[in-house]
Amino acid sequence: MTSQTTEQAATALTRPVAPRRRRSRWANVKENRWSYAYIAPFVILVAVFTIYPIIASLGYTLYQWNGIGSPTAYVGLDNFRKVLHDNIFWRSFGHTFLYTAVLVPVQLFLALVLALVLNNRRLRFSTFYRSVYFIPAVISPAIIAVVFQLLFSNFGANIDQKLISLHLMHKPLDWLGDPHIVLWVIIAIGIWNTLGYNLVYFLAGLQTIPEDLYEAATIDGAGARQQFWHVTIPGLREIGMIILFLAILGSLQVFDLVQVLTGGGPFYASSVVNTYIYQEAFGGGFSAAGGGGGASVQPNVGFASAASFFYGLILLVITGGQAIAIAYMRKRRREMNTAAIEEARL
Amino acid sequence: MAATTATRRRRTGHGSPLRQPVTHALLLICGFFWVYPMLWAISGSLKSDSGFLDSGLGLLPHGAHWNNYVDAWKGANFSGYFTNSVIITASTVFFTLLFASMAGYALARTNFPGKKVLIGVILVTFFLPRGYTIVPVYDIINQLYLLDTLWSVVLVQVAGAMVFNTFLFMGYFRTVAKEIEEAARVDGAGFHQTYFYIILPLARPMLATLGLFSFIQSWNDFMTPLVFTLGQPHLRTLSVGLYAFISQTSTDWTALCAGSIISLAPIILVFVVAQRHIVAAIAGAVKG
Repeated sequence: MTSQTTEQAATALTRPVAPRRRRSRWANVKENRWSYAYIAPFVILVAVFTIYPIIASLGYTLYQWNGIGSPTAYVGLDNFRKVLHDNIFWRSFGHTFLYTAVLVPVQLFLALVLALVLNNRRLRFSTFYRSVYFIPAVISPAIIAVVFQLLFSNFGANIDQKLISLHLMHKPLDWLGDPHIVLWVIIAIGIWNTLGYNLVYFLAGLQTIPEDLYEAATIDGAGARQQFWHVTIPGLREIGMIILFLAILGSLQVFDLVQVLTGGGPFYASSVVNTYIYQEAFGGGFSAAGGGGGASVQPNVGFASAASFFYGLILLVITGGQAIAIAYMRKRRREMNTAAIEEARL
Repeated sequence: MAATTATRRRRTGHGSPLRQPVTHALLLICGFFWVYPMLWAISGSLKSDSGFLDSGLGLLPHGAHWNNYVDAWKGANFSGYFTNSVIITASTVFFTLLFASMAGYALARTNFPGKKVLIGVILVTFFLPRGYTIVPVYDIINQLYLLDTLWSVVLVQVAGAMVFNTFLFMGYFRTVAKEIEEAARVDGAGFHQTYFYIILPLARPMLATLGLFSFIQSWNDFMTPLVFTLGQPHLRTLSVGLYAFISQTSTDWTALCAGSIISLAPIILVFVVAQRHIVAAIAGAVKG
């Protein structure tokens, strides 16, 4: 192997033109055989576990199938029609958008405020604080579910009684069992869980703003508030768009947290698109804590695949739109920068 | 004159001696409530059964009841779950890094026929709607006779992490100076030797970063081990075992707390040790 490579290199050096021209595609493949060996595990894994399943699940959308054996009952586009007319699907859809619409602004606002406080270089122990606020982000959803379920069941004598005595509510609350509040409780836990990522993103963004800009602003007599509006906010605009993009995409795909906390229950009151699809695909059969959505349903893989494909298209439109907006902003900014440089040159 | 007012303003804005303690107090109080659920679980894992009910949301246990940990570890088989988690996570991290760095190296450094097509296909799959892929994946695992084995979980996790990790390795290897590699080749190193002795050691920071990510992801993964080990309760990972435990016991809450802490401890330990690295890696993800 070793001698061969050097030999090849030597041949290439002594006779540079003629052999290269005549070299066939096959020779090229042969020469790169180790590259193929090195990408083989990657190609096999991606083909078998990513590409094939996407195509296969697209095929499932055309069948009425409970997931056992091979799909035989061909129903055409009937599954898609069913999805469009399915009340629970649209309810779950609404819940997912409510989750996103509340979680994203609240979480990003809190993360930004915290990042601004922690970014102050004169603040001591800022690394320690950052760790404290980041920690929930590395906790597994299963642990979160267990701890919060235990915590809520111990609210009884403490929080609930106090809230009742303050006339904020009338009877003890079943935090994860009351259909009116369960989604809000999950949103609050969601904010708590993933705020750390956005905090770190914002801190990274703040650090990309050159210190000279603040110094220049100080020399020009800008106060802290003016510096915030005219230096910090414009400096964060580009990275902020990416943070917003990731936060929206992540929230629209929420699954684990809801699945382990309530499984979408009670009676679909906290059902989001992905938990609903999951229950349709497995009929609640794969839930470690028993059925979640309130009712155990007959698995319908065709319907679940169609719902999932349909929702995938919606996500594609949303993320595609956002990606175009980010690219457009970047381009405009670059143009403005070059314009400013040109101007400075003149 | 203008400069002095400006400095004064700045000082009051950020680091005035009066404001710092207020900031610290606020950060500490909020931070306490932020991690309170976890502190409460730690304390709960040390309480006695009756103490757990009496103290409600209180944090101080009366003496340490370590036997909760014994109950969870032996009685609820957390020792077995722990072993499963360690085997799965270690294998997933190892194979993810190995396969992804190999592919990343080949993609970054050689121009084999078909490379562009391959990258194109992978980019397209990024944008295809995902569909409900766990059903066909389950089917494949079943046909490979791997259902209800730890390897099925490793296989699915590694496959799921492939694209992301390979692309990061590819980007990283492109930045490594080509001269180093050529020098190695002139010295007589073959393809494998260059990769193992030159390229991999150079990629140590990337290996650390992606290794940490895969560790956290694999350790915390809930759905993959749940679905693929459903028929064999003794193959459960900590996440799945803990979650199953809550539906089995409605009374042994202190052992549940202990189980949570057993599941959480390794992640927190890794986080504390590699904190700077993790944060830098996450920050790097949005900067690019």
